[in-house]
Amino acid sequence: MNPTSERAIVARAARKVFSGAVAVHGADLHVRTGEVHALVGENGAGKSTLLGLLSGRLAVDGGTVEVFGHRLHGGSPRESRAHGLVAIYQELMMVPALSAEANVFLGQVSTRRGLLDRRAMRARYHELSADLDVHIPPGTPARALSVSQQQMLEIMRGVHSDARILVLDEPTAALAEHERETLYRVLRTLTARGTTIVFVSHNLDEVLDLSDTITVLRDGHVVRSAPRAEWTRPALIEHMVGRTVGKLAERGTHSPGDEVLAAQDVSLPGVLKDISVTVRAGEIVGLWGLVGSGRTTFLRSLAGAEPAATGTLRLHGRRHRWPRSIRAAVEAGIVMVPESRKQALVPGMDGAANHWLGRRRSRSPLLDRRAERAEAATTGAFFAFDAARLGAPVRQLSGGNQQKVLLAKWAGHRPDVFLVDEPTRGIDIGAKTEVLASLVRLAAEGAAVIVTSSELEEVLAIANRLLVFAHGRVVREIPSDDPEFHADTVVRHGFTSGAPHEPAR
Amino acid sequence: MNQPADLGSAPSLEPAVPAAPGRTGHRHLVSRFAMIGVLIALTVLATALHPGFLSPDNLRDLLLQNTAVGIVALGMTFVIISGGFDLSVGATYALSATVSAGVTLSTGSPSLGVLAALGAGAACGIVNGLLVARLRINPFVATLGSASVISGIALLYSHSAPFIVSDPHFKILARSSLAGIPTPILILVVTFSAGAVLLGMTRYGRNIYAVGGNSEAGWLSGLRVARLTASVYVMTGLLAAFAGSIDASRLGVGQADVGANLALDAIAIVIVGGTSLRGGEGAIWRSAVGLLIFATLTNLFYSLNLSQNWQLIAKGTIVLIAVAFDAWSRHRRA
Repeated sequence: MNPTSERAIVARAARKVFSGAVAVHGADLHVRTGEVHALVGENGAGKSTLLGLLSGRLAVDGGTVEVFGHRLHGGSPRESRAHGLVAIYQELMMVPALSAEANVFLGQVSTRRGLLDRRAMRARYHELSADLDVHIPPGTPARALSVSQQQMLEIMRGVHSDARILVLDEPTAALAEHERETLYRVLRTLTARGTTIVFVSHNLDEVLDLSDTITVLRDGHVVRSAPRAEWTRPALIEHMVGRTVGKLAERGTHSPGDEVLAAQDVSLPGVLKDISVTVRAGEIVGLWGLVGSGRTTFLRSLAGAEPAATGTLRLHGRRHRWPRSIRAAVEAGIVMVPESRKQALVPGMDGAANHWLGRRRSRSPLLDRRAERAEAATTGAFFAFDAARLGAPVRQLSGGNQQKVLLAKWAGHRPDVFLVDEPTRGIDIGAKTEVLASLVRLAAEGAAVIVTSSELEEVLAIANRLLVFAHGRVVREIPSDDPEFHADTVVRHGFTSGAPHEPAR
Repeated sequence: MNQPADLGSAPSLEPAVPAAPGRTGHRHLVSRFAMIGVLIALTVLATALHPGFLSPDNLRDLLLQNTAVGIVALGMTFVIISGGFDLSVGATYALSATVSAGVTLSTGSPSLGVLAALGAGAACGIVNGLLVARLRINPFVATLGSASVISGIALLYSHSAPFIVSDPHFKILARSSLAGIPTPILILVVTFSAGAVLLGMTRYGRNIYAVGGNSEAGWLSGLRVARLTASVYVMTGLLAAFAGSIDASRLGVGQADVGANLALDAIAIVIVGGTSLRGGEGAIWRSAVGLLIFATLTNLFYSLNLSQNWQLIAKGTIVLIAVAFDAWSRHRRA
């Protein structure tokens, strides 16, 4: 092997500036051919920017990036593709209305005499499916597929175009645990045949599991790039945050009060079947289940965002009309912090404006920005949000800060029942601990909290009780002092075929 | 409570990167000054080419000729910021001009005429609002269709002939003045000021930005998104009707075949001012600047004796440049 081909990607003093702010300061990085190379760091550390530079999506403002010895000019995914580099971003490049097969061959269709060669493509599709051992019906439109299936289609697309380097930005952020396994398996298949893989991830376990080399970034600098064997989990965290981090979160020690919310026989045809839950003041109830198990839909139903859902509702011991709209739920004191920050915030508005969206407060017809700011700052402080950043459009905030804005926005309603969907998805460890701690404090102040997360460990850390969802039902209810309140058992229950719920002892 | 772990403020620009075409506040600063700069440059150019440009008489004419399109552009600003589009304003304007003149002729009361015109405009707006917000038809298609229907109604109502009103009272709306300032200019200033307050300083305005910026977030926040969306079309219908009544009064004629370029001109004004076609961004003052740029150009064309055809070409080119600038400044940061 000649020396240039040993290096799949070489970055020398690569630098990127966005509107005056330096995102990556002169990064030096070597990715060896055939290795799995992970980039880790907190949100805002410059991982995604560096990944964009390596993949040729962004142009460097200084320094150089070479792929297999070819210097990238940047800003042209086509150029890097020509050198065998395929990038898969968090926003998957899918045409929702086209079939799975058509998406795989997007921009690289097979033709015969100028016409689409459907038979050849179908054959190739099955070949790729067999190759990666993933089985997605070729005719299903992409919009009907899960995120993980769509991601597989992108990988198939890369394999089809003979990618020698696969670059992935947070590939598992939107995947449930069992879907991650499939991805890991496919990635291992690819590395076994010599494909170089570069990926960004927040999940340190998978980073340690998969990688040959791990590079830690902080504040736009490469802090350390070293072989896997030289890293441990605490060492990674220490390099990422520049200090040591203790436990993720502590469960509250306060004792729960009276029952606040009791929902019975919550159903949504085809999705949820007869789910019942009660939450007391000061209690955190965790919901866990695989993607598609109905936990998010259940929260949305309670919050009035699923008008077709039915059930009976008791609030503070009294019957209450089932909320048919978000307004109705909010008036009843039930708020939901939605799953997706992108859906739930207006990106061009600042934190304070987002905070007040949908709320009526003053009788004056004119907005009082100063008062708005002040209240938003107070509530934001509860969630460790830096008030100085309230004036910035939320699109400029890191994921963790956006999450805090979102939590504060809904906490600002001073709700009795706080439904929180995936509060820690895609945010860095520091922000995670703050978010989890703030939920515990919210409960300590008397709120009834229901929280879902794909990160089982986080739910287990703060919940007083856990409901395990499978196939639109609750299959298990486990209090925190039960011996079953353990990741292994919970996951096992989550994978059941959906036997009806047995109440916990 | 441990230290906020978000490491400083600068690096948090990062998430804007994977999120497709990134947008930062920087552009606002640039284009904020850009458009005012263009206006100043145009004014200097116009004064150089046509020394009487800044004379009070010329300025008054300039504003009077553009009152109607300005009022329509005000409504269009709301629609575009809410993420929509209204191509039916020209038809609504023509219908209202005819109704205003026609009802004045049949009842003898210009006030009734204006009221009827406003009613007609509101009705057009309600229909557009229902089509877009309830039936969820793409606003472009919905208003293109309704424009045709509204034009047809106006032609039917007027039997395809102009209503000529000789009653001097009919002309009061456009021809009177207050403290030396013509009423239409006062109306223009008052509606723009009211629009600026409504959009920039009230909860309603804030909600319009939210619907245009991310209607899902608005919905999840408990906003009545459909109602808000419909409301901007009603407002635009009303404003187009008002503009139609003013022009009918100014000319003493209401006819159904006017206003063909009105929608494009109004959209041009909004975009040239720097309001983004994507919705969720923009401001009323921007449309005011856009209107002045547009009016200055038109005035300049007249004083240079440029033919209508050249004006069309020039205006279209300017709109395309403005849109290209918007797209380019957005893309550059991606």
